[in-house]
Amino acid sequence: MLRYTIRRLVQGVITVWFIATTTFVAMHMVPGDPLTSERATTVEIRRNLEERYGLDRPIFEQYVIYVGNMARGDFGISFTQQNRRVNDIIREHFPISATLGILAITFAAFGGILWGALTALYRNQLPDVAIMFLVILAISVPSFVLAALGQITLVNINAGLGVTVLPVAGWGTVQHMIVPSLVLGLGTMAFLTRLMRSSMLEIMNADFIRTARAKGLPPTRIFLKHQLRNAALPVVTVLGPAIAAITTGGFVVELVFAIPGLGRYFVQAVQQLDYTVIMGTTVFYGAFLVVMVIIVDLVYGLVDARVRMA
Amino acid sequence: MSTAPLSFDPADFEPVAVERKTQTMSRPSLSYWQDAWRRLKANRRALISLYIVVALALFTLGGPLVWTVDPATQDLDQVSQPPGLPPTAVIVTPYQPWAGVTATLPAQNAGVAKEATAAIRLAEPATTQAVRIAWDPVVSAAGYRVYRNVYSPEPDRALGLPLAEVFNPEQVSFEDRLDLRPGRYWYSIVLLDASGGEATQYTTLQVEVARVTSAEEAVVFGWVDDAATLQPGDALELPYHPLGTDYLGRDMLARLMYGARVSLLIGIVAPLLFVVAGIAYGSAAGFIGGRLDQGMMRFADFVVALPFLLFMILFKIAFGIGPGESGIMPMLVALVILGWPATARLVRGQILQIREEGYIAASQLLGAKTSYLIMRHMIPNTMGVILVTLTFAVPSVIFTEAFLSFIGMGVAPPIPSWGSMCNEGIRTMLSHPHELIFPALFISVTVLAFNLLGDGMRDALDVRMRGRE
Amino acid sequence: MPIRSEISSDDPPVLTVDDLHVEFDTYGGIVKAVRGVSFNVRAGKTLAIVGESGCGKSVTVQSIMGLIPMPPGRITRGTAMFEGVDVIKQKIINGQDIRGDRVGMIFQDPMSSLNPTMRVGDQIAETLQVHRGYSHKQAFARAVDLLGETRIPEPAARARQYPFTFSGGMLQRAMIAMAIACEPSILVADEPTTAIDVTTQAQILDLLLELQSKTGMAVVLITHNLGVVARMADDVAVMYAGEIVEKGSADDIFYRASHPYTLGLQGAMPSNDPEREQGLQPIEGTPPDMFDPPKGCAYYARCPYAMRLCAQNHPERSPLNPHHYANCWLHHDGAPQDIAPHLFRGETA
Repeated sequence: MLRYTIRRLVQGVITVWFIATTTFVAMHMVPGDPLTSERATTVEIRRNLEERYGLDRPIFEQYVIYVGNMARGDFGISFTQQNRRVNDIIREHFPISATLGILAITFAAFGGILWGALTALYRNQLPDVAIMFLVILAISVPSFVLAALGQITLVNINAGLGVTVLPVAGWGTVQHMIVPSLVLGLGTMAFLTRLMRSSMLEIMNADFIRTARAKGLPPTRIFLKHQLRNAALPVVTVLGPAIAAITTGGFVVELVFAIPGLGRYFVQAVQQLDYTVIMGTTVFYGAFLVVMVIIVDLVYGLVDARVRMA
Repeated sequence: MSTAPLSFDPADFEPVAVERKTQTMSRPSLSYWQDAWRRLKANRRALISLYIVVALALFTLGGPLVWTVDPATQDLDQVSQPPGLPPTAVIVTPYQPWAGVTATLPAQNAGVAKEATAAIRLAEPATTQAVRIAWDPVVSAAGYRVYRNVYSPEPDRALGLPLAEVFNPEQVSFEDRLDLRPGRYWYSIVLLDASGGEATQYTTLQVEVARVTSAEEAVVFGWVDDAATLQPGDALELPYHPLGTDYLGRDMLARLMYGARVSLLIGIVAPLLFVVAGIAYGSAAGFIGGRLDQGMMRFADFVVALPFLLFMILFKIAFGIGPGESGIMPMLVALVILGWPATARLVRGQILQIREEGYIAASQLLGAKTSYLIMRHMIPNTMGVILVTLTFAVPSVIFTEAFLSFIGMGVAPPIPSWGSMCNEGIRTMLSHPHELIFPALFISVTVLAFNLLGDGMRDALDVRMRGRE
Repeated sequence: MPIRSEISSDDPPVLTVDDLHVEFDTYGGIVKAVRGVSFNVRAGKTLAIVGESGCGKSVTVQSIMGLIPMPPGRITRGTAMFEGVDVIKQKIINGQDIRGDRVGMIFQDPMSSLNPTMRVGDQIAETLQVHRGYSHKQAFARAVDLLGETRIPEPAARARQYPFTFSGGMLQRAMIAMAIACEPSILVADEPTTAIDVTTQAQILDLLLELQSKTGMAVVLITHNLGVVARMADDVAVMYAGEIVEKGSADDIFYRASHPYTLGLQGAMPSNDPEREQGLQPIEGTPPDMFDPPKGCAYYARCPYAMRLCAQNHPERSPLNPHHYANCWLHHDGAPQDIAPHLFRGETA
């Protein structure tokens, strides 16, 4: 187990380095160095940039400085919001996005496993049909529409009942977190439900389930210890990439629900072409994703011993 | 077993030389693809999805040929029009100013009860040219204020837009010419006291405004060429927008059709490209095997970790595209460059699996060359996986494009795409929901159809599902 | 021959299956997989059910054990009496499911028949926890013992491992340990050695015999390999196309084969008997289509001794001695005696 962990960690570091390098290379291959384009208007900023990034020095030295900065976690200063350090932006707003994302993925994972198992057990009966119908709706409707719809519904509920059941926008209390994470996790939950369903259907016909029945085990035990445990494995595998999807979707949810998360800043930076923020956030998100994928892989290694050996 | 003993005659016991031919199977023999097609057809949901996809293709390719409205033309007369029947306008004579209604107030006498409100009525039929209302004078009022709302003011006293204040108690009429649209308005009159304060009570009149135009206006708007052909009282049919118009007066149906082209162009071209790239890469890796294969897969893993949005932006800059311009090319490039690893991994996995299968070894033993193995065995067996991947990649890319257009990174106006239409529609979500509903509906149905089709294809092509009818 | 416990053949059988019919719904129609199978399993003895692939032998036992999904499968007729209860209708006796408790079962492919994410010891312990109410500790300790009894080296370490670290033969031993944990009166072995190499096969069979003599449990052994039958079986039922065509003791089947199919099987068996001059003689043709089973004898199309009446008339059971019968018209009084010279037709009274 230890060797497996170390291996994954090393891979993770290399991946983050790869992301950072590719970003650097891409930014510098672009005609007209974006770091010195019209964006950086004031002399102050130009001087800061030159000092910081060594813009007058050869590319390789710039690269070394860049990697050094990244390794120290220094992402530089925002272009559009002068004198605001990217690090500060990230530090203030990332925890909010992270909370939202983690809530959403937890909700999606547990929901997906539960609904998926139910549809497989009651295949072609009412629970299956009903759940799959909702699932299909959820994966077809784009996340931004879902977010908007969710908000309208909430507004109408609040208006209809005359009391604010749950806040419609903003962030701060537990109540603020419920609807946005629900909306954010819905699409992924639908996807995981389908995955779990097919996995479960396969497992239900597996030889070792036949053995379990031949052992006279009660159906509940067969369901929990034999079917669920094995069927959930592909779902766990896919959680890593699912987190990536949730991160992207998080931008929209933050926009619609006016949540002061990092996603909103990222989208703004994208629209305003604020390069340092874009780069810093991207590398940071990349590193975060890598960490999450590693964690998921480790959890998977705990559950399925076969992976540890490979 | 029979209960009565059978009796036979000696002839029955004669030995029979039976032709030992193989029993004919009563099940017809099917090839893999025939079987897959049969299973797909039997799957109702997948079949319906197939029809939807075909219909969508017709809509996209043939639609603009049938419905030839230009998606960029703004019909300012019908801004944010919800879907409905073709609007008609009645021809009337050009506008004539109105004298209004005046009334002499009855003499103040203590005996007359103080009416708190004034009864309103329409002085003339309400048209888009003018709405003329008049009301009964009220003794106690120092003046009147006229409001107009698009909703009923009940029950919150939401009177709406204040149109005018009349401080001459003898003038008991008002002509509204402010931005009149065909439809329903609620006009309310509130009494004012000497200091301009409003009474709490008010009267409301619900008015249906009919669309009219004069012959000259019709020419100006381009609805007819010659004013002489029109007589007052004629009904003129206006440009018809079956699905309504957006906030700039552009025809929704035409925009949806052109938007379909954009969305589906990217949605089909990008997956085709990156799936082909993935196939090439993956089969090379799977075939060569060994260290090179490991290395190639490592590289693919790294590519997966790359952030999509960043690269899109970078390509946008690299292609020299400014903030307001259309970002289709960088989107395509980014999608392809970052999208191939998934397919590559799938194909490589399939190839590895197939390589170990018994029939490959058997074929080789019978003398098959590598090219024959690839053409006859490997490709047909990977085809299933590839087709399914393709079918699922399409909705995924459509979503991505919609998302990017939604945040403003995709196509730029006036080129429509379903995603940007959703973006515009969200702003008027509460008042004109159709602007959001239609593009969202189209995206959803398309994505749904491809997803279900992909499901059906996977069920039909996946060998393991065969035992599970 | 290995020593087996002396049980009188007059003891009531442990399991009596009578007139079992099993069908399947498929897209091509209804497959009649089992068409009237009856047999007894004697206490402490081994019954082997032999036949080629697709003859319905696995379906027979699996349907009795309730392991066939019931759509699309269906038991349309038949009973299986075990300890006084028809276990086709009722699997629970005295509040306990007989499966795993009174009846143990092992399967063909041990690698896929065990839960890959559970330790082997835990899977064996499960049976004891569920049927005997053991605590996990007790059950696990007993599991280690059982692994030892099935001759797995280092049982304590092995019990903590996962199935993928075991070899095929070892896994089969582990499955056996699992099946006998609650000391069942019957062990059903569905082609236990088919997926295993020959040397290990012999070891597994010997292990089964040893366990049988120790515990006195009956064994139902399903196989298509006559060599396995020779090594283990006391009684043999030969199945073809969903029916039993011949049944008797092992000696009866090997030395006094009374059905052309049995003869055919023997002819197709490799033998190191120097006296045999011919090579392998395969049985020509293929089994009949089970969507539309033939009205007459199912073996008609492949039988070298077929007679005219065999095509339309289903053969009756012809007893040759109290424990040996064959379903073949050749035993009818009217049949010519000169065809099928190797066929045993009963002691002349």
